[in-house]
Amino acid sequence: MTTTQQDGATLNIGGIDTAVAVKGNGPPLVYLHGAFGYRDWHPFLDNLAENFTVYAPLHPGFGENSTVDDIDDILDLTLYHYDLLDALNLNAPAVVGHFLGAMTAAEMAALRPGSVGKLVLAAPAGIWLDETPGADYYATPMDEMRAILFADPQSPAAKALLPEPADDLERGTQIIERVRSLATVGKFLWPIPDKGIKKRLGRITAPTLIIAGDQDKIVPLAHAQEFADRITGATTHILPAGHMLMLEEPAKFAAEITTFLQP
Amino acid sequence: MKISWFHLMPYRFLPKDFEDKYRSVWVDVPSHLFEANKAHQLYNEYLDELEFADEVGFDGICVNEHHNNAYGIMPSPNITAATLTRRTSNAAIIVLGNSLALYNPPLRVAEEFAMLDCISGGRLVAGFPVGTSMDTNFAYGLTPATLREKYYEAHDLVMKAWTEPEPFAFNGKYNQVRYANIWPRPLQKPHPPVWIPGGGSVETWEWTSRMNYVYCYLSYSGYKRGIQVMDGFWKEMDRLGVDDNPYRAGFLQLVCVSETDEKAKEEYAEHVEYFYKKCLHVYEGFADAPGYRTIRTLKAGAVAQLGAAANQKRQSMTWDDFVEQGYVIAGSPKTVTENLRKAVEGLRVGHLMVLLQIGSMPKDLTMKNTELFATEVFPEVKGMWDEYEDYWWPEPMEQREVAGAASAAD
Repeated sequence: MTTTQQDGATLNIGGIDTAVAVKGNGPPLVYLHGAFGYRDWHPFLDNLAENFTVYAPLHPGFGENSTVDDIDDILDLTLYHYDLLDALNLNAPAVVGHFLGAMTAAEMAALRPGSVGKLVLAAPAGIWLDETPGADYYATPMDEMRAILFADPQSPAAKALLPEPADDLERGTQIIERVRSLATVGKFLWPIPDKGIKKRLGRITAPTLIIAGDQDKIVPLAHAQEFADRITGATTHILPAGHMLMLEEPAKFAAEITTFLQP
Repeated sequence: MKISWFHLMPYRFLPKDFEDKYRSVWVDVPSHLFEANKAHQLYNEYLDELEFADEVGFDGICVNEHHNNAYGIMPSPNITAATLTRRTSNAAIIVLGNSLALYNPPLRVAEEFAMLDCISGGRLVAGFPVGTSMDTNFAYGLTPATLREKYYEAHDLVMKAWTEPEPFAFNGKYNQVRYANIWPRPLQKPHPPVWIPGGGSVETWEWTSRMNYVYCYLSYSGYKRGIQVMDGFWKEMDRLGVDDNPYRAGFLQLVCVSETDEKAKEEYAEHVEYFYKKCLHVYEGFADAPGYRTIRTLKAGAVAQLGAAANQKRQSMTWDDFVEQGYVIAGSPKTVTENLRKAVEGLRVGHLMVLLQIGSMPKDLTMKNTELFATEVFPEVKGMWDEYEDYWWPEPMEQREVAGAASAAD
C-alpha cells in the first residue's frame, strides 16, 4: 500500500473495531502510541512517512467507539497485536512504540521473535525502579499534566497538545479523554508497571533502538537504560526532551528512527 | 424509623497547620503524624462511645472501612464489630462495610460476617461498598478499570457461599475456588440484610434495586444537597417500577445537639471545622483514579465532594455556613428536631445514620451529644415512617447469650 494522503481503515480484530491511519511510501512501519498525544496525526509521523508506509492504529479503549473490555492482560494484548499485523498483511514490519505502545512492541518481539523486523522503543513502559519511580501520572490533576509530560510545559508543542481549556465544556472533554486513556493504560500498568517484561526482554532478537528523553518525568532515563541492558545489542539514543519527545523533537526523533531502520 | 449511630474513628490530633503543610489526609498522609499511644486512647474512647449509643437506645451502631486515612483509623471494621458483639446487647451491628474486591478470596468476608452474625445472635447488617478510589485503587493497588467487575463477582461469591446448601466450585475471572464451603454460616436466613453504601452513581441504583438491597447515600455534604441526589434515586426507583418504601434508603447526617443554638456553636464549631478542613483535605489527584467511575457516570456530572474545588470551597466555610447549608444539623433539641424531620421527609429515608462524634470532638462532648440526641430528639422523630414495614432490618434470636463471667460457669 502506498499513499501520499493520510488514509484510514477500520479493521475488525477479534471483534474489536480498530481504526488504522495509513500514510507514506516505502517499507512498512507500525507506530503504536502511548497514553498521550494519540489522537492526531502529528508532524513526526509525516517525517517518517517520507521514507516508510506508516500504519498508526488507535489502541482499543482509547477511542469513543472501541473498548478494551475483552483484553484482560498482557498476553491478550500481545495476541491482539499479532492479529492486527496479520489483518494489515504485514510480515515482520518495523514496529515503533511509545510508552505502553513500546512495552507492547517489546512483548511482541519477545514472545514471538521474528514477528517484528526491527524494534524501536521510545520512553518504554514496563520497568519499576524503587530509586526512580517516575511521576504518578494517574494521580496528577489535569492542569498539572503538561508539567510532567513535557520538558518545557510552556513550549508550543505542550500548549498544542493540552491547550488551556476555553470553557467548562472543553475542560470536561479534556478530563473525560484523560480518564478514558488512563483507565485503558491502567488496565495493563496499574499501579506499578512491572508486569514481568524484565524476564522476557532477553528473548528479543530483533535489532532494537531505544529512544529516551533526558527530562522524561514519567519514564526516567534509568528505565530506558534498564531496557537497553536487557536487550542484546540494543542501542540507545537520548534526546533533549521530556516524555513527549516525538512531539518536542519531531525532526530528530524521526531522523534517528529513519537512520536506524535503513537497510 | 430506625436511627443508627455512626463512627468514622477520626484521628483527633492532627497538627493545627495540617491542611497548609500536607497535601492529603488520605493515601499519602504522613505516617510520622500517627502516634500509637494516642491511638490506644482513641480506640478505647471510640468503642466506649459506640457502646454508649447502644445503652441509650440507638437502633443500630455503624462502623466502616478506610485505608491510609487519618479521618478513619478503622481499616478492619470487623475487628471493631467483634468487640461490639460482646459489649452491646440490643443495637443492630451495621458494618458499612467490607469493600469486597479487596479480599482474596472474598470468602473471608462471608466467613467473618457469618461469625459476627452468630456471635451477636443475628444482629448484623452486612454492608458491601465498592470502596472509594483512595481506598481501593491508591491504597490497595486494585486496577480502577476492573474494580467494579471484581466487586460484583466477589458479591456473587459471598452470596452463593451464604445461601448454597452444599460445597460448590466457583470459577470466576478474579476468584477460583475448588471447594467453597464456609464454616460458620450466617444465623439470619437466608442471609443478613444487605446495605450498599454509594456515592450517587446510577449504575449502583439499578443494581441495588434489582437485588432488593438498601441503598445508603453516605455524604458529608448534608441533607440539603442529599435531597437532590435522593430525588434522583426515588425517580429511578419509580422508573424501574420499584415501590417507594423509605426503608429502601439510608442517609448519613452530621448532628450537633446542645441546650441552645448559641451553645451548640460554642461547643461544636471547632470540631466541625476540624472535620471539614482537615479530615476532608484530600489531594485532588487521589479523588478519582482514571477508570474508577464509568464514563457514563462522569458525563452524568456526579458532583465530587472531594477534590480541589470542593476542598477550596470548604476551607472558606464557617460554622454558620455549615449549619445554614445543612452540612450539619445543629442547635437546641427543638431546632435539631425540626430540621431533622425536614431532612428525613425530604430525603425519604427510613434508615437514618447520624454522625455525633465529629472531627476532633472529645469523648465527654460526644457523650453529651449522644445523650441529648437520644433523650430529646430521638423520641420526637422515631415514629416517622411507622406506616411502612422495614424488610431490611436484622432479625435477631429472641433469647440471646451475653458476655459471661470468664471465671466459672454458674
